[in-house]
Amino acid sequence: MATLTKQQIGSVLAKQGILIAFAVFIVAFTVANPKFLSVDNVFSVVRSSAILGVMALGVTFVVISGNLDLSVGSMMSFSTIVVLDLHDQIGPLLAIPAMFAMTMCLGAFIGFLVGYLRLNSLIVTLGMLSAIHGLTLTYSGGQNMDIADKEGTWFSVFGQGTALGIPVPIVIFAGLAALLGIVLAKTAFGRKVYAVGGNGTAATFSGIKRARTVFTCYVISAACVATAGLIQASRSLGSQNTVGQGLELEVLAAVILGGASLLGGAGTIFKTVIGVLILGFIQNGLLLMGLQFYVQFVVTWVIIILAVWLDIAAKRGKLWSPIA
Amino acid sequence: MVVGVREGRPEKRAIIITREEIHMKMRNILAATTAIVALTSTAFAAGHETLKIGITQNNVGVDSYQTTYEKAFIAAAEANDAVEAIVLDAGGDVARQIAQMEDLIQQEVDAIIIWPTNGEAVIPAVRKAHQAGIPVIVTNSNIAEPGFDFVKSFSGPDNITQGARSAEIMCDKFKDMGIENEAQVVHITGQPGYTTAIERAKGFEDRLPEVCPNVTVVDTQPGDWNREKSQQVMEAFLVKYDDIDGVYAGDDNMGVGALNAAKAAGRDGIIFVGATNFAVGYEAMAAGEYWGSIYQSPVDDAEAALKTAIDVLKGEELPFLNYFDTPKITQDNMGEFTKPVF
Repeated sequence: MATLTKQQIGSVLAKQGILIAFAVFIVAFTVANPKFLSVDNVFSVVRSSAILGVMALGVTFVVISGNLDLSVGSMMSFSTIVVLDLHDQIGPLLAIPAMFAMTMCLGAFIGFLVGYLRLNSLIVTLGMLSAIHGLTLTYSGGQNMDIADKEGTWFSVFGQGTALGIPVPIVIFAGLAALLGIVLAKTAFGRKVYAVGGNGTAATFSGIKRARTVFTCYVISAACVATAGLIQASRSLGSQNTVGQGLELEVLAAVILGGASLLGGAGTIFKTVIGVLILGFIQNGLLLMGLQFYVQFVVTWVIIILAVWLDIAAKRGKLWSPIA
Repeated sequence: MVVGVREGRPEKRAIIITREEIHMKMRNILAATTAIVALTSTAFAAGHETLKIGITQNNVGVDSYQTTYEKAFIAAAEANDAVEAIVLDAGGDVARQIAQMEDLIQQEVDAIIIWPTNGEAVIPAVRKAHQAGIPVIVTNSNIAEPGFDFVKSFSGPDNITQGARSAEIMCDKFKDMGIENEAQVVHITGQPGYTTAIERAKGFEDRLPEVCPNVTVVDTQPGDWNREKSQQVMEAFLVKYDDIDGVYAGDDNMGVGALNAAKAAGRDGIIFVGATNFAVGYEAMAAGEYWGSIYQSPVDDAEAALKTAIDVLKGEELPFLNYFDTPKITQDNMGEFTKPVF
């Protein structure tokens, strides 16, 4: 009887290790500062996380397909700068689709290099990280980009508006997560993504067009980045050229934290969302505790590594497992 | 007159326009460099009294301030017939800056101006120039103290005074409002570890208790010079503290981020004070939402650097720390200042 219960607990732990880690952190932070779980704070954290989160949704596809995308940080800077610039030139109604088209072209280019020329995705996206940053700076001439008429534009709705009392960035994040969650879990395309990342050779023999699948993953990732850029631009109606700098690593951390395998073939949208929220709530929780910043850096990453350990230990059913 | 150097072709006038270097947050993995070289056929202005001054900048194009600085420096050099300037940019890369210093020494320029990419790492290169008999002028951000012996003069803003002035602006406003005995302030600093951030924070924190002893700074967190990051920090502050009367941000970019957070949360009546007045800060002041800042012009910064170099070469006595003035700007006196171009 006792063993059975233990097994049951074990199997729950194995499936939901990361959720349990999440719950532990939430309780700990709430004890430290009761305001942590106030509606205002939760909304503010999820809204802030939405930008990172939307990007992480797209990168989840790329990672599951067995590739990496390190270009998303500078691609987000690009989208933000472009949409802000075009806003004043051709109006928001045209600026948004134009920005999406330009960003998705970048994604398609990366998808082409990785999918059709079969270049290593780490090198390609690392190169694109630099190249797109250069492109952004060339586009803007290094100047900050600001919308001239900040009060009179409806463009602010994506970052600052609310729908039924819920901040729009959260609505976009949740909506996109639901949509992409369904695409990944329930459609033929989603199963192809897992197949390509899990066992490419087997996927080929099953008649899956691997190149096209990888290509599509990068285009999806770019579309997510464009959405993130839209929220970012709309939120502050102005931007530096370096707004997305360093985000690629946080995005990747969130995706991996959520349990997606860097080797491909494993991961879900839901868990990526949990990974994003853990990152967001850790940073906010430490801030509310008033920890000194230098300490926050260390603690953030200690917690992340702890979470990854808890997750993997739950899956293995043991805490101690040296490389044999 | 401005001369860019491009692999041994000094007979052409060249201006290196852009050069970018990407820094990843955790490590530099790969850097891409784009150099666009504009060539014109104008020959050197003849004349044996020409002062050949080389400048190696930190990272042009990475922000509006540095972009405007470079333009202003080139313009000032062009306007001065006695000066032949060699304008270089390190793209934020220490190794490249050291190589550029060595190039300038090889070319036997009369003086070198350096905007350090890193206050410590460039010292050996600065010493080498010093030993070669070339006077070195540091611009904008000083190098670390062990290198002071090899530097003729530092030309730049006095960030400690800027922090102190921001404290005075805030305190004066609190006195006007009659809340100088109970006001609570939060402080958003620049990127941790950066000299400018540390000095401004120190100036503010030292000065505020002197002028307004009963005002408390309830929290300090970094906004990393980033508007979005600052907005997130301010959102957390607004949740944590029910009563915030003032916000001091290490620059206007972050100050406006904090302002956006307060506006979104519907918290009125907060006094925002920044530093390095940006166009967005100036506009927010004009709109009556942002109280004050410190006016620091990249044009003044660039012109002061060139003038310091020329004065050093003319043998004039200069203070080692040759600061240019960065005045207070508030809603009350903003009419005396033009809107910043960055």
